[in-house]
This record gives sequence, C-alpha cells and structure tokens, in this order.
Amino acid sequence: MEVGTTVLENLSLAGDTAHIPDKCFDQLVKAACRGVLSEVDRNAIADDPAFKGVDKAALKAAHSGIVALLVEAAKHDVDADGISHILEECKFSPERIKGFNDIFTVQKPSMQILLGSIGNSRPHIRANHMERINEAVYLISLKTEVPGQDELQEVQFTCSLEQLQDLVGKLKDATKCLEKLAQT
Amino acid sequence: MEEVDRIIIHSLRSIGCDIEEDIYSLKQFSTELIVAAAVGCIRFINNDADLPATLPPGMSARFRMGASLANYVQEMGYRGGDLGYQTFLYSNEAEIRKIFMFLVEKLPKESAQTADEPLGSSVLLHRTIATELGAELSLPWVPPCLKQHGVRVRSKAPGWHREGASCMRRFHACHLSLPHSVASLTVKLPKEQRQYYSDHLPYVTGQTKCHKDTTPSVMETTAAEVSEQQEWENEWNHSGLASRLSQKDYKARKRSKIQKMISDRLQQDAKQREGGESGDALRDLQQVMASVSQHTRSGVKTKGSRFAHTEKLLYGKDEEKTMAQIGAAVAPKDTEEETQRKREEEVAGLRDELSQLTTRLEQLDIDMRKMAASRQQMDEAVGTAAQQAKDKEEAFHVKKRTLDLLPDAQNNITKLQAVVDSSGQRLLNLAAQWEKHRAPLIEQFRTLRQLSSQRESEAQKQLEEMKAFRAKMKEVADEARHKEELQKQLMSEYERMTKDVNRSAYTRKIMEIVANIKKQKHEIDKILIDTKSIQKEINSLSGKLDRTFTVTDELIFRDAKKDEGVKKAYRFLAALHENCELLTKTVEETGVIMREIRDLEDQIETESHKKVLANLEKITEDYQQMKKENAGLMAKIKGK
Repeated sequence: MEVGTTVLENLSLAGDTAHIPDKCFDQLVKAACRGVLSEVDRNAIADDPAFKGVDKAALKAAHSGIVALLVEAAKHDVDADGISHILEECKFSPERIKGFNDIFTVQKPSMQILLGSIGNSRPHIRANHMERINEAVYLISLKTEVPGQDELQEVQFTCSLEQLQDLVGKLKDATKCLEKLAQT
Repeated sequence: MEEVDRIIIHSLRSIGCDIEEDIYSLKQFSTELIVAAAVGCIRFINNDADLPATLPPGMSARFRMGASLANYVQEMGYRGGDLGYQTFLYSNEAEIRKIFMFLVEKLPKESAQTADEPLGSSVLLHRTIATELGAELSLPWVPPCLKQHGVRVRSKAPGWHREGASCMRRFHACHLSLPHSVASLTVKLPKEQRQYYSDHLPYVTGQTKCHKDTTPSVMETTAAEVSEQQEWENEWNHSGLASRLSQKDYKARKRSKIQKMISDRLQQDAKQREGGESGDALRDLQQVMASVSQHTRSGVKTKGSRFAHTEKLLYGKDEEKTMAQIGAAVAPKDTEEETQRKREEEVAGLRDELSQLTTRLEQLDIDMRKMAASRQQMDEAVGTAAQQAKDKEEAFHVKKRTLDLLPDAQNNITKLQAVVDSSGQRLLNLAAQWEKHRAPLIEQFRTLRQLSSQRESEAQKQLEEMKAFRAKMKEVADEARHKEELQKQLMSEYERMTKDVNRSAYTRKIMEIVANIKKQKHEIDKILIDTKSIQKEINSLSGKLDRTFTVTDELIFRDAKKDEGVKKAYRFLAALHENCELLTKTVEETGVIMREIRDLEDQIETESHKKVLANLEKITEDYQQMKKENAGLMAKIKGK
C-alpha cells in the first residue's frame, strides 16, 4: 500500500498533539469513518462541539489525511500491523495507533462493503418462470437486478424448445465453469 | 523396522484403508488386510484398476486375484524378486514390507509439489478466488428481499459477501481539494490561503456533489498523487540528476521548454493555416501563453490575472467602439436611404481625411527620420570638433611649456634629465614592485584554478556516487519490498498448509535415524580399526616367531652335529614348532566355524520369519479345500 506525500503530511499533522489534542483524536477518526460511510453524517464533523478550539485548517487537513488512509487501508485489506507501520512513520504515539486500529478494525467490514459496491455488472438474473403456451414456444420471463435500481426488473422473451435447451446448456456450462474454478 | 511399518500404516490409513487402531506392525497383517491394503494402493495409483475390494471366498478366485495383484504391482515397475500369487496369499513379512514400501512410494504426492517452491502471487490470488467461490457455491440460494443492499452475511472469514447487482454503481470520481502544508515549517502558507482553508474549504467527505462519489474520489486522488511522485522520481533519477540543477531549476527549465514547444507548434500551425482570423487567433493564443507563463511565475495567488486584464482591455475597447457605433446610429432618425447616403458620404469623407492624414503622417515620419539623421550627423561633427579642440589645446600647452623653458636651456635640460632619470628609476621600481605583487597573485590564481577544477571533478565524482547510491537505494528498496512480499506469501502458504503432526514427527524420526546411522558408522569404523591393528599385531608376531625359529634352528642345528644332547633338543624344537602351528591352525578353524554357525543362525532366523510352517499348513488346507471343490464339481458333472 502506498500513499502520497500530501496524505502522509496530513496524517503526521493528525498525529501531532500540538494540532490535534489527544481527547479529540478518537472523535476525529470516528467522525472520518462516519463521514465516509454515511451520507447523513458527511458533514457531521463541521458542527461537532468536540473540536472547539482546534484550528479549522489543521483539522481539515488531518481529517483528509485520515479519510485517505481509511479508504486505502480498506481497499488493500491492510491489517493492524501494516497500519501501525504507516502511522509510526508519521510519528504517531502508540496510544493513538492503538486507538486508530481499534476504531478501524470495527469499521473495516463496512468500509469494504462500501468499496465492494463500486463497480459495474450486467443485470443479475434472480428468478425465472416458464409458461408453456403451445407445443413448441415458451415464454420466459427473467427477474433481474439492475445496478442502481432497487426494484427488480423484468426481461421477457419467447423461444423454441431447442433455443431453450441451448440456454439451459449454456447456463449449465457456466455453473460447471464456476465449480471448476472453485476446485482448483 | 518399526518406523518403516508405522510410516507404511500411516500412509495406508491416509488413503482410506480400514486398518484397526491396535495394529502397529506389518507382522500383524492378516492375508485379508494385506490384499485389501494392496488393492487400495493400486486403486489410488491407477484409477482404472479393475480389482475387487475384498478377498473372495472361493479358493480359485483367491488364486486368480493374487495373480492379478502381482501382475499390477509388476506393471508399476516393481523389481524386487519374483512376485506371484503366493506373495500375497502366503505372505512373509519382509516381502510384504518391500512391496508396501514400493507402493507407498508410488502414491501420488500432492503436498510434496506445493512445498517445493514459493507460489507466485497470481497463484495465491487464484487460490483465494477459488476458496471464495467454493464458499459462495456451498451456500443455499436466498431470495433478494432477505439481503440488505445485496450483502449476504455468512459465518466464514470475511463475514459477508456480495450477491446480486442491485446496489452496484459505477466508479465516478471528482476532484478533491486537500489542504496542503498547513503545519509545514519549510513552506510558509499565505494568509489568504490559510483563511480559505479554515473558513471556506469543505471537509473531504462533504466535497463531492453526491456522497457516493467520496470514496472513489479519495482513491483517485491518492492514486494520482502516488503515480505522480513515482513518475517524478523516475525522471529525476534519469535525467534530473544528470542536468546538475536543483529540483526547482530543473522544473523551471522544463516548464519553459514545454511552453516554448507549445508556442512553436502554434506558430507553425498558424503559418500553415495563413488566414485573416488565424492571425488574431494566434495573437490571442500568444497572449494566453504569456499569461500562463506570467501566472506560473507569479504563483497561485494571481491566477489568470493578467489574462483577465488583457482580455478586459481588448473587449473593453471593442465594447466602447460598439457603443459609439450604436450611439451614432441612433441619433438622426432619417429615412433609410438618406441615412445610407449620409453614411456613405461620411465614410468617403472620413476615408479621404484618413488618407490625407496618413500621407501627412508618413511625410512627417520621413521628415522626422531625416531630422534625426541630420541631428546625429551634427552630433558627430560637434564631437569630432570638440576632440580636435582638446587635442590642439594639449599640444599648445606642451609647446608653451617648452618655450618657457627655452631661455635657461642648459639648466633646464639637466633638470629635465634628472626628472627623466628619476621617472625611469621610479618606473623600474614600480616594475619590480609589480613583479613582486604579481608572482604571488599568479601563484594564487593558479592554485585557485587548480582547486576549482579539482572541486569540479570532485563534484562530478560525488554526483556519480550520488547516482550510484540512488540506484542502490532503489535496488535495496525493491529487494526489501520483494522480500516482504515473499515473506507474506510464504506466511500465507504456511498458514494454509495442513498442520500435519506427522510431518514434524517424521522429520524428527529421520533426524534420529540419521544420528543413529552416524553412530553406527562410527562404531563400525572403530571395530575396523581394531581388527586392522590386531591383524597387524598377528602379522608382526608371526614374523617374529618365524625369525626366532629360524635363528634358533640354525644355532641348534650347528651344535647338533657335535653334541648328542643338543640333537635331542633340536628334535624337540621341531616337534614343538609343529605342535604350535597345529594349535594356531585349530584356533583359526574354530573361528571360521563360529562364524559359519552365526551365519546359519541368522539364516534360521530369517527362515523362521517366513512363517513356512504356518504357510505350509495354510497351503495344505487350501489344497484340501480345492480338492473338495474339485470333487464337488466332478460330482456335479457326474450328476448331470
């Protein structure tokens, strides 16, 4: 895992007791986590009374550094040791490192869920049912999950027996492929 | 042998042979068990082996099965003596051990291959993907309404995984503005910027328009910075150091180079186009360029100020003009034609005036140029005249003084001579002094020059060294990173490896065995040395004996001719010698016999191990059974 100098600089600022007092530090990390995770709390840090008397510019810099570290650490799945390594380089005191790690280990799964939801994919087939209309034609309706939409969407098409068999064969192939992958 | 048996039994158990817990040696194997274990091994090695799992009850079938087992084992490449149905059916321990050792060795070893070399990261990744997929496949289907945001909670390692695509969204990043060097001691932050940071800049998590873009933006910003740093490092290492400039100078030079390149390109392009408006466009672009360079020189604060300024000036003029035109157009409310005509007249008048003015201007210009030229000439003339006047004045002064001196010519000549002499002396003095000053100065100059060249070369050397160090640093860092990765890989590999207790036990046993063998070898060596020394002693003793005998023999023989008593003694001596020789021979023979006895005992031991009697009994039993079977069959045939 690598971070840029600006982030490191801002992190060192966050670890400096002259800028961020000890009592604020845990609050700052928690606020950063909340700000990343929840839309409601994105600006919660701005009017948090815990940070009264802290220089706003320094606070903002420290906050940005911590947010960057949180996101990068969650992205690379860095464990507590790795984080301690980076924080030690930024001259954090052991208590602060511990505090950071305690908060981060709790929030890491949520962070990773959040990061995991970034991406793009085809509509996801959820359920299907077939109706036999005639001897040879099948009406197929597939329920799909489309990225970014909460409701299930529906895809409908008709096909003949051979086409249906073809489709089923393809799906079976795909399943087999997955199973094979899982075994290697 | 116990160790071997244990290893064999362990491997047999591990391939799924049903061996009871209290069996710990091959001696305890029954015929059924031997056959079952052999079949298990063969099936494990060769999947299509067509063998029944257990011994059939019929004697002939048993015989056939034993034969086919022997066949399979031989096909696999067993070269340990003759193999037949009797090996399995009427077993003896040593042979069975050999066969099982061979079979166990032939078993496919999966674990041995993986342990050989550290796996690449891609293999590890594949493996993680495989385990993840396996875990997900093993779970039953769950309707989407039961999952919150497509996340499925599970008990295994990460505790969750994503199913379905309903909550996915694209990666979309925006620009984030991060506060720079707020607490830095080296860079002084301007007051305005600090104020902006503290009063107006929103927090990072609140900067994007849509909150969901925050994480992608943060990642993007970090990645961009990291890659920029790497790029710069690379460039600085390659060409930056060689230029022998400071980082700042290097950057400035590069910037000016790029600007020059851009403007050159633009000019070339414009020349190619060669259009009326392209000239304007070019000018505009050049202004933009100028403003850009201005901006970069003057820093962030005056961002685009000059550009804005020139723009304002340009457009301001245009605006004024248009305003004037509009005003002119609005004032007289005449008819269309009249206005048209008037305008044309006005335009014509103005044009005339303009041409007049231009011609006048040109004339004036020419006049001015002429005047300037003539003025310059005049100036020159004045200068030369003044110079001449000065020269003449000087000449006059000299002449006047000479004339003054003329009346008292003799005196004055001697005086002048003295003055000339003293001046010559002074000149010489000065020259000597100058020499005196000059020599050390030249010396100093030379040393300094040498020093500077030395310093130059030293700087060069240091630069080289610096470069080498940088390369080394990078190398070491790379190596460290590589090693760290390897260590991580190995760690994960180690964690993933089945913690087989047997493995360590085996290694310990192997070490013990090796130590034992070493000890034994040592003992054997000792005994060999002992034997050799004894042999030597025996040899020397027998030699001594021989020699003593010969000497005594000769002595006594010489005397024997004279004395009867000595003759007798000689006879006794011969007899004694003979007897002693017999004695030693007997002792040797005894040794040989003893050895033979021991060999025979060993043979008896091995033979008794072979369970000949029991096997014989079994064979006779089986023979009887076979006879019975045959008789039954004969009876059946006869009955038909």
